[in-house]
Amino acid sequence: MEKIQKEQNRVLVLSADKLDMSERKLLEKKFSDLNWKDSVYQIDKSVIAGIIIKVGSKTIDLSLTGSLSKLSNTLYEID
Amino acid sequence: MENLGIDGKLLLAQMINFVLFFILVKQFIVKPFTSFLNEERKNEEEKSRMLEKLKRSEEAGIEAEAKMKEKMKKEFDVLFVQAKKEAQGMRADLIKQAEADALEIKEKNSKLLEEEKNLLYREVKDKIIKTSLMIVENTLKDSLDESSRKKVTGAIIKNYQGRLKIYEN
Repeated sequence: MEKIQKEQNRVLVLSADKLDMSERKLLEKKFSDLNWKDSVYQIDKSVIAGIIIKVGSKTIDLSLTGSLSKLSNTLYEID
Repeated sequence: MENLGIDGKLLLAQMINFVLFFILVKQFIVKPFTSFLNEERKNEEEKSRMLEKLKRSEEAGIEAEAKMKEKMKKEFDVLFVQAKKEAQGMRADLIKQAEADALEIKEKNSKLLEEEKNLLYREVKDKIIKTSLMIVENTLKDSLDESSRKKVTGAIIKNYQGRLKIYEN
């Protein structure tokens, strides 16, 4: 149960390229409310640029793909 | 009488003969003939009465026919006017109904056309958005090298102010 809870609270960061230490530190500072202890960094080329942070069921999308997706939604909402 | 040359017996016989003749004629000829004449006259009178009656009846018939014709003409005129009015009413109703139907069809077609237009617009819009985004995405993928991507990523992290929407999966 504790393991599942731990797994759920684990931070997963997706980026197109490997983040260097300064970027990681800055990221941890910006999202200080997250538990970065067991964080995982993965490379995902579909992100294009920027990052996607996933914590359990929550997603913080700071990627160009996400921006394009938001732009797409905005365009669909415009009549 | 004998001096006058008249034979009394003969005269008597002739007188008797005459009386007998008179009685016989009266009894067997005059009476039936008179009766026949009376009968004929009665028949004639009856015939005249019948003719008169027939004439009157015929005149009454002609008059009645004329009255009937006039009455029928009046009734026909009334019915014709009534039928004309009804036909005009029906015509007006039909025209009104046809106009309403035409308007309904027009509105329906207009609505259908509007719906089709909107559908086409949405389809075209969808295609344009998808194509545009695909072009932008591919261009970004092709044009951004590693250093550019890193710069963009660094800038995004640096400029993040914590106002981003968090999505629940």
